[in-house]
Amino acid sequence: MATATSIDRPPASRGARVPLDAIAAAVGAIGSLTLRGLADLGTTTRFVADTGLAIARDVSTWLPETVEQMWRLGIASMPIALFIASFTGIVLALLASYSFTGAVPLYFVGTLVQKTVTLELAPVLTGLALAGRVGANIAAELGTMRVTEQIDALETLGYDPLPYLVVPRVLAGGVMFPIVVAASMIVGVGAGWIASVLLLHLSTPEFTKGLRLFFNTFDVEYGLVKSASFGVAVTLIGCARGLRTDGGAVGVGRAATSAVVYSAVLILVLDAFWAVTWLLGHGDAV
Amino acid sequence: MKRKTDILVGFIVLLVVAATIVAVAWVKQADIGKRQRDVVARFRDVGNARVGNAVVVRGVVGGRVQAIELAPDGWVIVHLRVNPSVIFPADPVVLLNESSLFGEWQATVIERSALPHDDVVRREIAEAGRDGRMLPGATLPGIGKLTAVAGQIAGDVASVAERVEVAFDEQAARELRASIKNVSDLSSVMSKVVRTHAADLDVLSGQLQTAVASLNETANTVKLTATRIDSATTSPEARSIVSDLAIASTELRHTSSQIRELSGRFASTQTKLDAAITNGDSVLAKINAGTGSLGLLVNDPTMYRQTDSLLTELRALVTDFKANPKKYVSVRIF
Repeated sequence: MATATSIDRPPASRGARVPLDAIAAAVGAIGSLTLRGLADLGTTTRFVADTGLAIARDVSTWLPETVEQMWRLGIASMPIALFIASFTGIVLALLASYSFTGAVPLYFVGTLVQKTVTLELAPVLTGLALAGRVGANIAAELGTMRVTEQIDALETLGYDPLPYLVVPRVLAGGVMFPIVVAASMIVGVGAGWIASVLLLHLSTPEFTKGLRLFFNTFDVEYGLVKSASFGVAVTLIGCARGLRTDGGAVGVGRAATSAVVYSAVLILVLDAFWAVTWLLGHGDAV
Repeated sequence: MKRKTDILVGFIVLLVVAATIVAVAWVKQADIGKRQRDVVARFRDVGNARVGNAVVVRGVVGGRVQAIELAPDGWVIVHLRVNPSVIFPADPVVLLNESSLFGEWQATVIERSALPHDDVVRREIAEAGRDGRMLPGATLPGIGKLTAVAGQIAGDVASVAERVEVAFDEQAARELRASIKNVSDLSSVMSKVVRTHAADLDVLSGQLQTAVASLNETANTVKLTATRIDSATTSPEARSIVSDLAIASTELRHTSSQIRELSGRFASTQTKLDAAITNGDSVLAKINAGTGSLGLLVNDPTMYRQTDSLLTELRALVTDFKANPKKYVSVRIF
């Protein structure tokens, strides 16, 4: 009877222990996530600081490599960037014409194409495209070097991998992204111009009038500075993910993927950052 | 291979940088190496004008707004960079105004005499022109401000329309229709009357024309007569007549002064006569009242009788005196 009673009635302490365990697990998960985030932040910050120190310290090491990286990251990326820019310009012109619907003079197509391309689309779309191409390339290359222990060999021989592998790529990204984006701006606006003339029957003087109407040198400065920050961010993430690769080919693939994802996210975050800190309020300045 | 890469990278970088600079300069219409003329204008307010806005002279873009800066005493200094070939009007002023509905502004250089008839603008121009070294400038109200005013006016009109709608109900509409019909009837009646009297009016107008012609003729005659009178008054006889008239007039003035003097005396005499009459009235009043000797004489019968008796006795005495003078007069010389 006593056994039956104990079976029918569940122990009172068990019901109280289950929620406590769940809460403890949740709190533990938050703590773990926070610690991991802080560890990543610390690692990344230390990595960025070491890279900065390496730039100042080992000029003779990174300088010869930088031009090579400029070629690989910048010039070699030019075709895809210009391809994207040209189609962006065409689509923008058509979208503007479609949106105006006769209420706004058509020469404002030039204004919209210029503003949109220089301020936003050329830097961001080019940055995203290069994040896929350059970020993945760097992460895969350095990841492969890491898993094949080439970087370990360098460290064993007393070479610091940062001035040799990271700094040239970061500098090349910081210099070449604005170059590629500048070319994208020119091509994008030019494509919009051609599309306006050929498809919208807008005359060249009309398009030029709209182009010049609200043009400000700041538009170009803003786009180029923003793209430089994208270049630095994409190459830094690619290098960081590549150097931390482990686990063979799978790890290399994972590093490349995470480099692209992190780069894309950081580009959008930086885009918002520049808009809030620099673009906001600039229109009111004399 | 390495050197080739370096050259290629450097070339492309330089090419893109140069292309970007050229593109920006072209879009901004920068005048690199071209001689420009700088003109300074001052304003109280520049509205939404910005650096790069067009400077328009007689409808043609002749330059750009180069810089806008705040100055002491509440002024805003605007630097205009214009093409040296652009010739300003004789007395130039600068107006900042919107050039389209889409927020574009421009600086229009016009002659002072061509300013719009706006007291505020003219006052601003006059104030800004006191400096003498800078072009005076004023800002025309933007489309936004005008739209706001127009909106306010539209609101007022809507309010008035609402009130009219309230006042103009069905009854008012019926009355208005009836009034219109009455006016229509009246106008048709008047039309008939006019048609009826048109012939009379024609006759009357003919007669009036004849009368006017007669009047003209009379006027001519009068004019002729006046001419003759004018010529007659210039003869010696007329001068003599005028001279005689002058003498007669002098004598008349003299006579009139004598009459005035006589009339003054007459007035004095009249006053005295009035006083005498007043005294007489007083005496008569006393006589009527029976006071005084005369009053008693007139009103008291006893007195009358005594007087009558006295007269009778006097008459008897005179008769007796005539009959017997020696009885009463005794003359003795010695």
